Amino acid sequence: MSNDADLDFIAQAMPAFISEAAEQIEAIETLLLELEEQPDNRELLDSLFRCAHTVKGSAGIFGLNRVVEFTHHVETLLDKMRDGDIGLTPDISTLLLQCNDQIKFLVDTAADESADTAELKDARADLVIRLRSLTDGSAPTPVKAAAAAASASAADGGVRVWTISARFGVETFRNGMDPLSIARYLGTLGKVLKVRCISDGVPPLGNLNPESCYLSFVMELETAASREDIEGAFSFVMDDCELDVVAPETPGQKLARAIEDMPATPRLGDMLVSVGAVTQAKLKEVLSTQEQTRGMPVVEKAKIGDLLEAQAGVPPEAVAAALGKQQKLREATTPATEERYIRVQADRLDAVINLLGELVIAGAGATLLARESRQVALIEANLHMNSLIEEIRNGTLGLRMVPVGETFSRFRRVVRDTAASLGKEVNFEIVGGDAELDKSMVEKIADPLMHLVRNSLDHGLEPPNERLNAGKPASGKLVLSARHETGAILIRIEDDGRGINRERVLQRAWNRGLVEQGFVPPDDDINMLIFEPGFSTAEQVTNLSGRGVGMDVVRRNIEALRGSIRLNSNPGKGLQVDIRLPLTLAIIDGFLVGVGKSKFVLPLESVVEVIESGGQNIKVDSHGRHCVELREAVLPVVRLRTLYTVESSLPDRVSIVVVNSPRGKFGIEVEVLLGQNQTVIKPLGRLFRSLRGISGSSILGSGEVALILDVTSLAELTTAVQNGTSVAATAQGSVPA
Amino acid sequence: MNERFELPAELNIYSALDTRDALLAWIADQGAKGREALDVSAQDVVEIDGAGLQLVASLSNLEQSWRLVASSDVFSEACRTLGFAVWVDGRDFKGGNGSASA
Repeated sequence: MSNDADLDFIAQAMPAFISEAAEQIEAIETLLLELEEQPDNRELLDSLFRCAHTVKGSAGIFGLNRVVEFTHHVETLLDKMRDGDIGLTPDISTLLLQCNDQIKFLVDTAADESADTAELKDARADLVIRLRSLTDGSAPTPVKAAAAAASASAADGGVRVWTISARFGVETFRNGMDPLSIARYLGTLGKVLKVRCISDGVPPLGNLNPESCYLSFVMELETAASREDIEGAFSFVMDDCELDVVAPETPGQKLARAIEDMPATPRLGDMLVSVGAVTQAKLKEVLSTQEQTRGMPVVEKAKIGDLLEAQAGVPPEAVAAALGKQQKLREATTPATEERYIRVQADRLDAVINLLGELVIAGAGATLLARESRQVALIEANLHMNSLIEEIRNGTLGLRMVPVGETFSRFRRVVRDTAASLGKEVNFEIVGGDAELDKSMVEKIADPLMHLVRNSLDHGLEPPNERLNAGKPASGKLVLSARHETGAILIRIEDDGRGINRERVLQRAWNRGLVEQGFVPPDDDINMLIFEPGFSTAEQVTNLSGRGVGMDVVRRNIEALRGSIRLNSNPGKGLQVDIRLPLTLAIIDGFLVGVGKSKFVLPLESVVEVIESGGQNIKVDSHGRHCVELREAVLPVVRLRTLYTVESSLPDRVSIVVVNSPRGKFGIEVEVLLGQNQTVIKPLGRLFRSLRGISGSSILGSGEVALILDVTSLAELTTAVQNGTSVAATAQGSVPA
Repeated sequence: MNERFELPAELNIYSALDTRDALLAWIADQGAKGREALDVSAQDVVEIDGAGLQLVASLSNLEQSWRLVASSDVFSEACRTLGFAVWVDGRDFKGGNGSASA
């Protein structure tokens, strides 16, 4: 019975375990890649160990023995690395990454033993053998990079004098414990330099209960044992024992502490001078020695810390502390990873956001009724409520916002492995990873991005020799960046590869009948052809990309998110792929305008200003386009009334809302301005999907439907060349009033 | 009553209560005899623990002064281990026979 309850509990808790383990596994990967760049970073290594340990530990609770067994070997290797016995080499890093994949697989298939085929078991056994050959190799070859860490840990773990003061609880004897045995045990750890028992607290004989303990002692112990080992001696009395274990400072350690306490000081030499570990003159001398080694390869270049140690007699602890301080300062700029989180199920959050949408609409309705009632108090109360609703809305939507960098950093691994398998060299950079985006958006954008990144690596970047021939550096550059741009986020994938070969694309398009034979569309249109279904120009179909599936899916996925994709190709120099996405899928701040009886919403962020214009007197073309002069510049304007053939009697004066778009400013001519409006975005019905310039619909407080204008595609309509007849044709559907 | 108090062979938590009572009785007796200094011998001690040492230590918190006049190896080792070396170090117990007492 209780067994059943246990199984029930495990079944219930399993999804939480799997999602948590997935996070840990992801963290392991990120940490490993970071550690490759800073192999001496002790904290990264510690976090790495903790992640692996956590996975192992929680897998143990769920009885996932395969995960535990395998992770144990990884943990052993990491432990050896922490001890400084093994340094991180690229080979070990690759091995650990492979092991991490294996752990991920084991966790994912935790419930399904059959997924673990003999082949996979072999692969795993192979990894274990490689792990063990590293950890069992009892003659570890200290890697050069680890030397610095080793000297630091020598100061840490070497023989030193600990002062141990312990005050035992009254119940110690009755609990069967004996301070004498503890003191004896401590004696076995090292050499007891001094021990003094403090018996002042013992009552005079007449009042003494000899079964109660009133003793405490202070001991100076010279030992190589760690703090944990020493404290371990007290583990059975820990509950009611006051214990204090301190390592008195050697002169070197005193300097180290002084450095630790110092305010931010960036340079190693300066730090050591200011605490008096080295004189200014000596520092200068050492610096000049270092100068002589300049120009040598980095590995052979003498490090200032090593020189100070060797030539100026600075204690190694002081140098290590100063280096540590520098490291900490560098890390201080990156946010701590261990923030506090509350885990919330996504569907609960979605339910709140749906309700919020309804609340916004209901609030607008109430405001409308209040206005009609003309009761000032009621109107004010409503206004106040609406501003609160707005705050709640922003806060709630903010809950769904996550930094896009989390997704980006997943690509590091992909780039590393893909480049290696293609024999290419790539410098991968991530810029602006802290830009935030709706969580569901981040999830949906990951796959298209991955595809584009792979595409850049495979088709864009050339192999090293080809690059050298083209006068470029051997290793290519791939930059993934994100930034906010008028109510949208712009994600850009930029490489310095060969760009799009337009001739070949056009040729292929002619051959496949995508473009009429002999017709040459504008450059941008040719570029966009690569997003057509069934298009591929790769001469050699690799296992990564080039099978002609994908790019069209990429575009479809992005457009499904109300986003857009643009290519900026510079043949021979590189390719830039711009993806623009709205920040959120749910609610936006809108600007409500009216044309006849129809209402339209513009995203408020894109609105710049509103100007007046003569209505009837201005001639427009068949798509409602014309121009006005705004501060001595020409502003293209689109008249919604004509564009969507809205029935209305055109007034004498109309308003032009000037909006920002990625293609520049343009005007939208409307008849009535209805002001700011919280807009809950509802998807357009299937019928209206093809309507250009409209991205969604919204329900107003009055129950009317308003259409949400898509500024970017409206801009395209405005500036589109006359011959694009199909464009205008789709735009010219009639609009429901 | 003896001039000096012989601590029992088993000076530990199990005998602590008895030893304390015996000690108290002996001290009272010594006081009656007008002796200022208390001589304690540990020459028979073969088993000792923290409770036993604490019992001896509590002698230090009496009005009378006391001294250890004889000690077994076991007792001396325990004193040194737990930090009561002052009782035994620098003193010559002359083969643990207790003849050092006056």
